[in-house]
Amino acid sequence: MAERRVAITGLGVVTPVALGADEFWKALIEGRSGARTIGLFDASGFPCTIGAELADFSARTYVPKSYRKAVKVMARDIEVAVAAADLAFRNAGLTTRGTDENAPPTVEPKRLGCNVGAGLICTDLDELGAAVTTAVTDGAFDLKAWGSGGMNNLTPLWLLKYLPNMLACHVTIIHAAEGPSNTITCGDASGLLSIGEAGRWVQRGDVTAAVAGGAEAKLNPMGHLRQQLLGRLCTAANDSPAAACRPFDTQHAGTIIGEGGGLVILEDLEHARNRGATIYAELVGFGGACDPRGIDIASRTAGGLELAIRNALGDAGLQPADVSALAAHGTAVPAEDAAESAAWTTALGDAAVQCPAFSITGATGSLFAGAGGTLLAAAALAMHHQIVPPTVNFSSPADGCNLRLASQPRQAELTHIVVGGFAIGGQSAACVLRRYVS
Amino acid sequence: MSKRRVVITGMGTVNPLGHDVESTWRAMLACANGVSKTELFDASTYPTTFSAQVKGYRLADHVPQADLHQTAGRHCQFALGAAVQAWAQSGLDSFVNLDHTRVGVYLGSGEGSLDFSNFVSLLVDAWKDGKVDTRRWAELAFQRMNVHRELEQESNMVVAHLAAQFKIRGPAFNVLTACAASTQAIGEAALQIRRGDADVMITGGAHSMIHPFGVTGFNRLTALSQRNDSPETASRPFDLTRDGFVLGEGASILILEDYDTAQARGAKILAEIVGYGSSADAFRITDQDPEGDGAATSMRSALADAKLTVDDIDYISAHGTGTKQNDQVETRAVKAVFGQRAAKVPVSSVKSMVGHLIAAAGATELITCVLAIRDQVIPPTTNYAHPDADCDLDYVPNKPREAKVRVCMSNSFGFGGQNNTVIIREAGE
Repeated sequence: MAERRVAITGLGVVTPVALGADEFWKALIEGRSGARTIGLFDASGFPCTIGAELADFSARTYVPKSYRKAVKVMARDIEVAVAAADLAFRNAGLTTRGTDENAPPTVEPKRLGCNVGAGLICTDLDELGAAVTTAVTDGAFDLKAWGSGGMNNLTPLWLLKYLPNMLACHVTIIHAAEGPSNTITCGDASGLLSIGEAGRWVQRGDVTAAVAGGAEAKLNPMGHLRQQLLGRLCTAANDSPAAACRPFDTQHAGTIIGEGGGLVILEDLEHARNRGATIYAELVGFGGACDPRGIDIASRTAGGLELAIRNALGDAGLQPADVSALAAHGTAVPAEDAAESAAWTTALGDAAVQCPAFSITGATGSLFAGAGGTLLAAAALAMHHQIVPPTVNFSSPADGCNLRLASQPRQAELTHIVVGGFAIGGQSAACVLRRYVS
Repeated sequence: MSKRRVVITGMGTVNPLGHDVESTWRAMLACANGVSKTELFDASTYPTTFSAQVKGYRLADHVPQADLHQTAGRHCQFALGAAVQAWAQSGLDSFVNLDHTRVGVYLGSGEGSLDFSNFVSLLVDAWKDGKVDTRRWAELAFQRMNVHRELEQESNMVVAHLAAQFKIRGPAFNVLTACAASTQAIGEAALQIRRGDADVMITGGAHSMIHPFGVTGFNRLTALSQRNDSPETASRPFDLTRDGFVLGEGASILILEDYDTAQARGAKILAEIVGYGSSADAFRITDQDPEGDGAATSMRSALADAKLTVDDIDYISAHGTGTKQNDQVETRAVKAVFGQRAAKVPVSSVKSMVGHLIAAAGATELITCVLAIRDQVIPPTTNYAHPDADCDLDYVPNKPREAKVRVCMSNSFGFGGQNNTVIIREAGE
């Protein structure tokens, strides 16, 4: 039996520059940056004091009234995923228990899947600190005092706020998605791996539709510390946040942390057509790969992205010459940008430097598990509008970076866009989108 | 194109009962128990003072290139040991024509443990006026925290270490669907091979949550047994007096291969993966759906995928955690799916002996299914003494049972309602 075709019919994006697909596209085209001095916590003790925050964000307005209390047990990563899912279902015009409790769902719950990539969620330090500091003897933490009473100062559901699978679990509960559910935790590759895997569910006919992508919110002291220790953050532009994150640009000097995520609705093309849905693009190829050097943090690989791209093109039955644009991960960490450029060139040859390319990291900061879904949503919008969005803060290419990025939007005849991403640790993924013509 | 078949050609494990497959299996058939007083940290005042710990394990005893993994965390070291065993059993270590771009990894590995003493000392030392002074915290953190300890907490790092060990370049995933993670990983890994995205997949899981905040989290949820006066009888799945699960740790790894590729290189085939199902309860983050509808959906999907009926299933390896709710719901779900056959099919939980390995649980249990087929014996549910009217299946109580076992179903249900089922069948044409 032939595989089913996979349509992308809904885009839910939660980013520092905009929430929702239309606003997001507008922000991308305008070349806005979401970076500013970190306000979520006092970051003045860090070499990098800037990030791309979600300002005044809460998931409360994205859940049914009956679910609002549950927002209290959601880490910020979970809130991002919950909001992105709501935006995605509504953007797709799909009715779920979450979008309308009183209407019949468009897709039978058991035929609705959920695949939300997530990161390592850090507990809120003030919340844990308030409990930990009740178990201090002679100025030091006292495990015996913690076990016998201190721990009781934590809310009973404390653990559930920080489990990475809770992004998907809350989404499945809110929207009554009873089909396959997965949580891929593979760093920055998580979002594209989740979308690729959920695309397979649709292809095989296991589900009629799935919500897939990823979300993460690392802009907290632990998350910031970890990236700082890895030497990945830009420390040279605290006074000019908007210009700090410069993917592939000659002045790139590290990334900044953004908060956000992107979830897309993947749907059986026939089903989408029959209900008259907007089809942004088709998902026609997916590939993953890894690089065994990934455990060495000094190696700065692109996680075998060249193989992932080849695998994805092979899956789509395409040649490099068929590719009309590239959506690059673009962390703006110099060695990573160089490794990524090399990967695209190795995989696509001349096509890599002839096709227009773009990265959204200059606008949103690094979104980690949220990156792939957001980038793929941007690519779907690019396909829909037949415009390649600009790369914020790109003006001239860095040494070894020969992708064709631009600081202005470009109109182009777009038929196939390849979206790539890779993780610290050495894993990568790529997806291929095809223009849908009815 | 007909689907490619997926077979198991290697297995390895490091767990509280043993540091390899055979010693673990012998221990299970002897009804041994891996639970004892927690020694990894001072849990003496915790509501739960015991756990199922891996004891006396040294990476260098199991992994030839141990120096490649100096930064590996505890669960990652378990995974490396288990993977080296599995890889050797598969014969791929000496297969010269292996295309490393066709070998992938799909793990259900947990997060690494916190750099605990530094982490808490920072909280204490930077606490000011009822909150963390993050400026002070950062200043101290840069003095005390180590980049490797932090990076190794990312749950994709076990994948990274296995890729380095075996020079893998194929598709690589990690999932963390709580207690269902490694069953899900195995199911999805099988699909990678079936579709032709890889020829070989290294799969399974690794986890250790036996650390001060891990136990805190589960104790606050009141999920753990608190039978502190009798640790070795504390894990009692399906027994009326069960009072929670026993936290364990470890890793189990399986090598999956395309049937034709495995045949062509003359590999010994241990079993075939024939079915996989996944579902979500979509009920509540704190409770399972009391009707067990999500769990039942997972089992039904796996049966449909395998094109088998309930009459074909000779043994069910239960999730069987020993919590009041899980065992009751699981029993209900098995009855809903199996109908009349539910009373006849043996259902056991090896968690009664090895504890609950969280993300690594499902892979460990699937290995026991392979061995049940090999030796035609079903591992027991130990510590079973008091029948529960709500749990009235055949749990293979207290001693292993010889039986005809050709097809096994293994279930895993995660906190938050992610359910997964894998079905395996004896090797054959």
